[in-house]
Amino acid sequence: MPPMKTQFENFLPLTQSQLTLWTGQQMHPNVPLHDVVYTFDINGTINELTFEKAFQILVNENDIFKIIFIDRKGTPHQSINENSIINFKILDFGHRTKDEIHSYIKEKTLKPLNVSKQVYESSLLKTSENRYIWYFKLHHLVTDAVTFSILYNRMATLYGDLLQEKNSIPAESASFSDYVQYEQEVQHSKINESYKKYWANKVSKDIQNFRFYGEKNDALSTEAERIELSIGTLRTKKLKELANKPEVRGWTQDLTLFNIFTTLYLSFLYRTSGQKSLVIGSPAHNRSERRFHRTAGLFIEVLPYSIEIEDNDTFNTLLQRIKVESNSFLKNAGPGMTGAVKERNISALLNFITADFPDFNGHPTRIDWVHNEHIDSAHSIRCHVYDFQKNGDYRLAFDIKKTFLKGRKSVDIANHFFKLLDAFLNNIDKPIEEIELVSADEKQNLIGSHQEIIKPEKTVLERFEKWASEKPNGIAIQFEEQTLTYSNLNKKANRLARYLKAKNIDHKSTVAIHMNRSPEYIIAILAVLKTGAAFVPIASDQPRARLEYIYSNSNSSLMVTDRNFQSKVSIDTNEIINIHEIAPSLDTESSKNLDLDINKDDLSYILYTSGSTGKPKGVKIANKSLANYLNWAQNYYQVDESSVFALFTSIGFDLTITSTFLPIINGGRMIIYKEGGLGPDTTLLRVVEDNQVNTIKLTPSHLSLLKGKTFDDSSIHTMILGGEDLKVSLAQEISASFSKRLRIFNEYGPTEATVGCIASEFDPAKHIESSVPIGHPIENIQSYIFDDYMNLVPSGVSGELYLGGIGLAKGYIGASEMTLEKFIDNPYNPGSKLYKSGDSVRLNKDGEFEYLGRIDDQIKLRGHRIELSEIEATLNQLDGIDNCAVVLVENEQPIHEEEVVNCTKCGLPSNYPSTDFDDQGVCHLCRAFETYKDKAHRYFKNDEQLISLLSSKRDKSVNYDCISLLSGGKDSTYVLARLINMGLKVLAFTMDNGYISEQAKANIDRIVTRLGVDHVYGKTPHMNEIFVDSLHRHKNVCNGCFKTIYTLSTKIALEKNIPFIVTGLSRGQFFETRLTEELFWNDDLDTTEIDQTILEARKLYHQESDAVKKLLDTSMFDDDETFEKVQFVDFYRFSDVSLEEMLVFLKERAGWVRPTDTGRSTNCLINQVGIYVHKKELGYSNYSFPYSWDVRLGHKTRNESLEEINEVIDEIEVKRIIQEIGYNEIDEEEINSNKLVAYYTGNPDLSINEIQIALAKELPSYMVPSVFKHLTEIPLTKNGKMDKAGLKNLSSAQLEMDTPYVAPRNEIEELIEGIWKEVLQLKKVGVHDDFIALGGHSLAAIRVTARINEEIEMNFPLNKVFEHTTIASYASYIEQTLTALLEK
Amino acid sequence: MKDKIESYIINNLASEPLDKIYDDEDLLGSGIVDSMGMMNLINFIETEADIKIPSEDMTIENFMTIKNIMQYLSR
Repeated sequence: MPPMKTQFENFLPLTQSQLTLWTGQQMHPNVPLHDVVYTFDINGTINELTFEKAFQILVNENDIFKIIFIDRKGTPHQSINENSIINFKILDFGHRTKDEIHSYIKEKTLKPLNVSKQVYESSLLKTSENRYIWYFKLHHLVTDAVTFSILYNRMATLYGDLLQEKNSIPAESASFSDYVQYEQEVQHSKINESYKKYWANKVSKDIQNFRFYGEKNDALSTEAERIELSIGTLRTKKLKELANKPEVRGWTQDLTLFNIFTTLYLSFLYRTSGQKSLVIGSPAHNRSERRFHRTAGLFIEVLPYSIEIEDNDTFNTLLQRIKVESNSFLKNAGPGMTGAVKERNISALLNFITADFPDFNGHPTRIDWVHNEHIDSAHSIRCHVYDFQKNGDYRLAFDIKKTFLKGRKSVDIANHFFKLLDAFLNNIDKPIEEIELVSADEKQNLIGSHQEIIKPEKTVLERFEKWASEKPNGIAIQFEEQTLTYSNLNKKANRLARYLKAKNIDHKSTVAIHMNRSPEYIIAILAVLKTGAAFVPIASDQPRARLEYIYSNSNSSLMVTDRNFQSKVSIDTNEIINIHEIAPSLDTESSKNLDLDINKDDLSYILYTSGSTGKPKGVKIANKSLANYLNWAQNYYQVDESSVFALFTSIGFDLTITSTFLPIINGGRMIIYKEGGLGPDTTLLRVVEDNQVNTIKLTPSHLSLLKGKTFDDSSIHTMILGGEDLKVSLAQEISASFSKRLRIFNEYGPTEATVGCIASEFDPAKHIESSVPIGHPIENIQSYIFDDYMNLVPSGVSGELYLGGIGLAKGYIGASEMTLEKFIDNPYNPGSKLYKSGDSVRLNKDGEFEYLGRIDDQIKLRGHRIELSEIEATLNQLDGIDNCAVVLVENEQPIHEEEVVNCTKCGLPSNYPSTDFDDQGVCHLCRAFETYKDKAHRYFKNDEQLISLLSSKRDKSVNYDCISLLSGGKDSTYVLARLINMGLKVLAFTMDNGYISEQAKANIDRIVTRLGVDHVYGKTPHMNEIFVDSLHRHKNVCNGCFKTIYTLSTKIALEKNIPFIVTGLSRGQFFETRLTEELFWNDDLDTTEIDQTILEARKLYHQESDAVKKLLDTSMFDDDETFEKVQFVDFYRFSDVSLEEMLVFLKERAGWVRPTDTGRSTNCLINQVGIYVHKKELGYSNYSFPYSWDVRLGHKTRNESLEEINEVIDEIEVKRIIQEIGYNEIDEEEINSNKLVAYYTGNPDLSINEIQIALAKELPSYMVPSVFKHLTEIPLTKNGKMDKAGLKNLSSAQLEMDTPYVAPRNEIEELIEGIWKEVLQLKKVGVHDDFIALGGHSLAAIRVTARINEEIEMNFPLNKVFEHTTIASYASYIEQTLTALLEK
Repeated sequence: MKDKIESYIINNLASEPLDKIYDDEDLLGSGIVDSMGMMNLINFIETEADIKIPSEDMTIENFMTIKNIMQYLSR
């Protein structure tokens, strides 16, 4: 017997693989997690004593048997226990039954080894005369599959040799302790370091948590079930044939088969999770060094295989990528690499075992790997592939964590793999996503029954009329102080019905009902139903255009309304029935029931839902569908005579159908809540405060308004939630806030399947995931979950919900194409239809449907497909987050330069914000100007007026009449020359901003000399900072420069006592900086009033806190007197000149020469930086707008303007200057990239960084939103659903603000929001957003104030905008003012 | 290079003790090296020859025998 090769010197550390196993075992100390058991069922006679002898030799030859593991100060170590006794027993089980033996083995297997004492256990069980079972257990810390094969084969040789009394010499081989030391030695070798780098990068953070069958892995449990199946010799043979094909073949057949099984396994994981980024673990044998080829011990390294399934992947395309991946996998699978991998990312394992076990010394032997019924807590599933006896029949063993098997059979799961295997063998070029996974049995279960449960079907009308006769004096409706008995309600409805009938309304007609919530509304719908016609509910707050569209689209022949329409609506007045007006004539009608035969297939109502095309679509619901829903709802919600419902939601929303009919067809009562201007939110609060109803139907968004309140005496016992995903947290919180028992129901249903078709009752004990499941389909409704290829998906897997049955709508009115698209033939029930819901759902373990989000909620960001609902679900689970909405904010793609057209009149480009061109290509500004052109011209004056103005204060002036602002450009030079020409005493002022070109400077010097005028330069060391600020604020440099000029020149004027400063602003620039359309709205235009407004605006302009205010001395503007002492006069307000005339004059009189060193018509070198930045960030030149005005006012021609705008910009020079002044250019990517924005309610003090870190633990980095915005509440649409479309429309400036977004809460706020949006060109404004931060300036203030004054016929002063800088504050100022006025 | 490769296979990879590997001996087919051994060999060659073997070149045709390997390397 050879001596043990290496003795441990005291203790050795654990290898990386051992450490991983050890750590796993520490977390689950009392389970046989890593106890590996093989049994060898030997069919033959065994000499028991020789067998025992052989085992003793085996133990002595291999050091692993004597290894023990000890925890020393928290660190595990291994050591050799030389004194360990050999753990081997011979047991006679001849008298035991097969089952008893089996349970003995199982029992032994499940009893964990204590590795601090011994790492193995073995026995020989004699089961009958010629039959033995060798039971052999080793701890995984010292073994792998190859080790078992090594030991088994050695044992067989030893036994045979001993029988023949031969001396048995083991093969030369290193010991396991040699390997342990070797692993230590090479840990930091150069090559190992490169391996480590490979593995660290391999599993990046961009990996989602794996959800096997849509479920989260329970990280605490280890219990698992094994299902073991043969694939059969036929499949094995086919596989091996395929493996020989050149395009499939890898280095060896084993590697090829491994590649194939990896392909199948990844396909299987993809199809059963729906996830495309997958990581599996796979053991590499890691016995490359020859000396370890036959060493018993733990050698394998479990390393990750990470694959991204691509769109349209076939088995073959995936296999090709896996071939490449396998090579790198093997190349980098060095000793100890397990330690380089983050464990948590490996959630599924594939174990391709090549070990073989031939007969035992000539006796046929059956090998069983006995499952220990546990798997690593991180693993959801493991798949082992082996052919231990090389029978040409691969066996597959699936170890599935038990938590995934609740309500799901392991055999079904295995079958899904086999479906893929067969599809692969059939055609390796088949797209993976097309393959049907479910078996015929499963299908049967998933399809369910098509048998309609026959109900005592009565129409809604019959049921109501029955109550009217049985309970005539019972109260049916309560509305404010008014009540209506069943009998009266019925009589009123009968009278109206007869009236309608007389107007030829019958079962083929459609009647629109456009009303407020009121008893009259209920009367009207009952009346319409009594005639057999269908009603079309249109809420009172619908815009006129939508009303008109619905009326005509629904083919309504009448409209019953409570409104007074004059000529405003394009509906024939003969078709409009005002319910109040016809009241007297109704009295003559009989109040008896009409008793018409109502056909169950005729329509009850047509309800309009918003369509993706922008036009609402009318859903046609038949009498039988409505009856089916209401019958079911009555039973499910236990509605009876004691039920009191609130009618408080919009009548145009199908959710409201429940409260509209359920009470009055069950003898209950309905309390109608009038709609107020303040939206549905406060109505709900009124409902709960009144405390009169016991049942309400509402959306989860509505419900969340009740959060934080307590309800000790609430009469409400039933809440039916619908329309949106119901979060468990919300249901829990509301439940807890009611002291009495509150039943909360979650009802799911698109309008197209009649109000509700899948429902559940919230059960706090059972429903612990993020959302309350939507539950089970209601009676007579079929529901299927299909994948994109119309295959039914297995239970747990997500897919699109399709609905069928009696509740299905009869399509969309007047939209047969869309009807065909959405209502498809039911493949499982020929002749019937299925509605394609567009909702993503799955079946959970309890067989309940779970709503996962809209299919079209799936977005694509930088190539990744993202389910927004998944981000929301994860975010909602974080502490401090109450509710959230995640949207993709898409940056508007700028119009390509080639696609830009210019207004045919003024040249305004079509990419200027909110432009609108008419058929003639004329812009909206030109069209509007036509209407006030005459008035606008009254603003302009003449030369005489200018002279008299400028000389009006002459006595005061010491030296000069005025300062003339001289930039050196043609316009200002012309001004100066003309002023001199007029005989005025002028001081010329030029701002030296550091970028005036040499030639321009020469021009200036020449001109002032030639004109003989005094001249000063203004300068500031802060100019560059001012430029940068201006670029940030206004995307140009001119605004900052102008303000500097005004500031510095005013200072000089004050010092030198000069009363006027004359600007050379062009007429176009007036409209950029001073004038707005609003100023000319007033019919009796008074230019002094305009001047006053402009002056007020100027005062505000100097108060704006920008770089000029911060860096220059602007204290003089705090004093109102300054504005009296120094007046600004725009020369071109008085003088009109064409460009041509001007150039001639300049050449002759002033010696002005166009500078050539700026490369452009300007005299200023930095000017083009502004144009460049403006164009880049906003898409158009900052000169587009003022020049269009120059053209409009006849100062320039269209061609002249376009020529100047389109002048080429010297980008190299621009970049140089940008760097020189220190402006950080926003890169292109940032301007154009879309981003994920998360809005949330809850704790406002949460650190965004921490939220992001928490999300990154659950989600790949590309799914973590980049912007987070706190809201006090999530804004709702009129129907009470989250207003996601609105949230997509916040501008980046708004997103950056600290203020939470709050939507307008009342009419005044809505009015102001509308005005701000128009003026500031925003899509959405929150009521706490700051006017100035949104880019509001003095000119915008003029526009906003003028518009508000126009709308509410008041005369609010301009500065109020800057006093009340938010909508909320301005609105309350308006309200106070109005109230004060009323009190007077 | 050829000698280096041969001795690396003999000393580190070969499943059985070997004295010599013939130039046209099928390394994979004969079981001298398995797939993991082959990737170790490629690693070894990359380090020794300071080259990078692209994955599309990792084919049986290029690496079946020492002769094939030498032909591939001389390309």
